[in-house]
This record gives sequence, C-alpha cells and structure tokens, in this order.
Amino acid sequence: MSDAEQAGASGCGAPAGGIKVTAGVGNQAVVQGHVTRAGTPVPTGYARLLNSDGEFVAEVPLGEDGGFTFYAAPGSWTLRVLAPGGVRAEQVVSAESGKIIELEMAV
Amino acid sequence: MSRSDVLVDADWVQAHLGDPGLVLVEVDEDTSAYDKGHIKGAVKIDWKKDLQDPVRRDFVDRPGFEALLSERGISNDDTVIVYGGNNNWFAAYAYWYFKLYGHQNVKLLDGGRKKWELDSREMVTEIPQRAATSYHAQEQDRAIRALRDDVVAAIGNLNLVDVRSPDEYTGRLLAPAHLPQEQAQRPGHVPTAKNVPWSKAAQDDGTFKSDQALRALYADESGLDFAKDTIAYCRIGERSAHTWFVLHELLDQPNVKNYDGSWTEYGSLVGVPIEVGDAK
Repeated sequence: MSDAEQAGASGCGAPAGGIKVTAGVGNQAVVQGHVTRAGTPVPTGYARLLNSDGEFVAEVPLGEDGGFTFYAAPGSWTLRVLAPGGVRAEQVVSAESGKIIELEMAV
Repeated sequence: MSRSDVLVDADWVQAHLGDPGLVLVEVDEDTSAYDKGHIKGAVKIDWKKDLQDPVRRDFVDRPGFEALLSERGISNDDTVIVYGGNNNWFAAYAYWYFKLYGHQNVKLLDGGRKKWELDSREMVTEIPQRAATSYHAQEQDRAIRALRDDVVAAIGNLNLVDVRSPDEYTGRLLAPAHLPQEQAQRPGHVPTAKNVPWSKAAQDDGTFKSDQALRALYADESGLDFAKDTIAYCRIGERSAHTWFVLHELLDQPNVKNYDGSWTEYGSLVGVPIEVGDAK
C-alpha cells in the first residue's frame, strides 16, 4: 500500500502541500502546482478546490515549497489560494482522468 | 448556551495566553503542523495516536482518556481551548470527544489554526512543560454519539445530515479531493439524508457564520426539521463533528448525534440501503 493510500484510509485531513503523487497517476485526475510571490515560494497559506457550482471540495495548507496536490474527478474546478495579508487568487482548471494538471499561481 | 460559552476568537486567546486554568490544545491529523509552529503554550493531541484505539476501530476507553489528559497536564477544572488545522475539523472532533467523556469547560477557537496563520499571529516551536494531573473522565455520553444501527433506524424518521461535499454525497468522489480516490466503500449516501456541506457553515478563513445565517442555512435552505432529532455524518466523523458543534452548541438543538463511523463504515456495511446521485 502506498503512503497516499494509507493516509486516505486512516484520515480525512490534508497534510501540508497535500499528498504527493508517488506511484504513478493511474486513473486519478490530479491537479497540483505551486504558489509563488515574485518568484519565491509562499509556504504559509491555503489552496482550496471548488467544484463547478463554487462549492468547497477540499483544502490543503501549502507545503514548504508553496505546493499543493488534489485528486479530483474529470471536469472543471476552481483553485482558490488564501494567504496572509488578505491575499486571494483564483484559477479555473480542467482535470482529466489519468493526467496530472500543473498550475503555477502567482500572488 | 450562547456562542460565547463555546467559542472564543483569536483576539481573546491572544489576550489570555498564559492565564492559569486555561489550556490551549492543538488537534491535527497532520501533527507535523504543530511541530513546525503552534500558539504559545499549546499542547498537542494527535487525532489518531492519542484518540483512537490502536487495535479496534473505536475510541480510547475511559481510562485511556484519563491517562492521556493526566499526562498532558489537563485537570478537570481547566478551561480547554481547542484549535487545529483543516478549518477546525479535528478540533471540533476533539471538542465533541471531550464532551463525550464529560469535560465541562471546553471551547473552540473560532477559525482555528488557519485564521491564526492568516492573521500572521505569533507561532512558536517551544513545547510547554505542564505538570501531570489526575484526570477523571465520565462514562461516554451516548446522547451525542450515533452508532450504525442508530443511523439505519433514522432513515425516513430523523434528520440525517450528510456534511460531505456534494461530489462525495452524489458518489462522484469517495473522499475529499486532497486524498486519493481508491477506497473500499461503495459511493453514495444514506437514503433520506440531506446534503449540507460543513463548509457552508464557515467563512473562507474558517470562522463560523453568524447564528442567524446558520439557522437560515439548516432550517430554511436545507429543510431540516428542528422538531426532530438529528444525526450528522461525513466520511470519518470529523467534518460532521464540526456540524454537530454548529447544531448542538451554537444553535442549541437538543438532540444531535455525531456518527463517527460515518461513510467509511456505512459504505462498507452489507445489506444497508444506499442512494447515489442527487437527493430524491
């Protein structure tokens, strides 16, 4: 069992940065990326995934490298970033089964 | 009970740091968050290692809970302020758990760790030293905990509130989207359950919406019958503890239970009814 599967089986919370894709993407529809400010990673903040109706689906604290990973389903999603100082940024993303979509969010 | 009896804001906590008789407890699933930084004086409780039985799927028993709180230096008379990551999911779960074992004076920090971080308030890595106590817990208060048979019996009779995201409720996802989707359970929801995602009760910064907005959300928009008893569930019982907190502690609904077995149990049961897609 991979680390990701173990984490998924035992809990519900999100570790900082999300659970990295380690053993191949399989048929998962992965959305991941990094948040940067003037080219520097933003390690304190949150990435939130919303569905096409704008409803909350998941949220992870950003990793040390400003990174985040979500396991979505095929379709359209919105990625919202919150960071100290009232910083907020959004991007619409289309996820596909068996693919990793990479996002770079500059705030 | 009023909001101020169960909830404190970040300014209040900041002003009372170090007060005798007040213990801050950070509860996370990802306990490395505490190790990287926490509110000054806060002790750590690990959602899994400290609160779950290591063998059976259940809570630590009463002596286990007594040993845990005694070791962390928490006494029966202390006011416990819990906070944590994931919009206070695990902190709300710990709050409910403290109530389950009869701790009287426990409150939640509104917005939890996230609000504290987004406010750029001070966090430290220093681990506080607290003298051990002799904590005495009560028997579990089953009035606030639902088991699987309670849920099956509630179908069509009581309010069932599925607090997961609409995507999990309809069966499109099996877990929150930060987790891999390969799970053993069948997708879907308990028939007659209404889908009121926990996130509708909170603002983006993790703080709770006003009592008025919450009452409108559950009674008017979601059609919950406040004259009936309620059972809330999610996937493993922490997001539903958040909703239990809203209904039982903020809105003062008398009979609300959290089903901690939640979908990882229900979705694996043989022979129980499951509905997929939108609410019928």
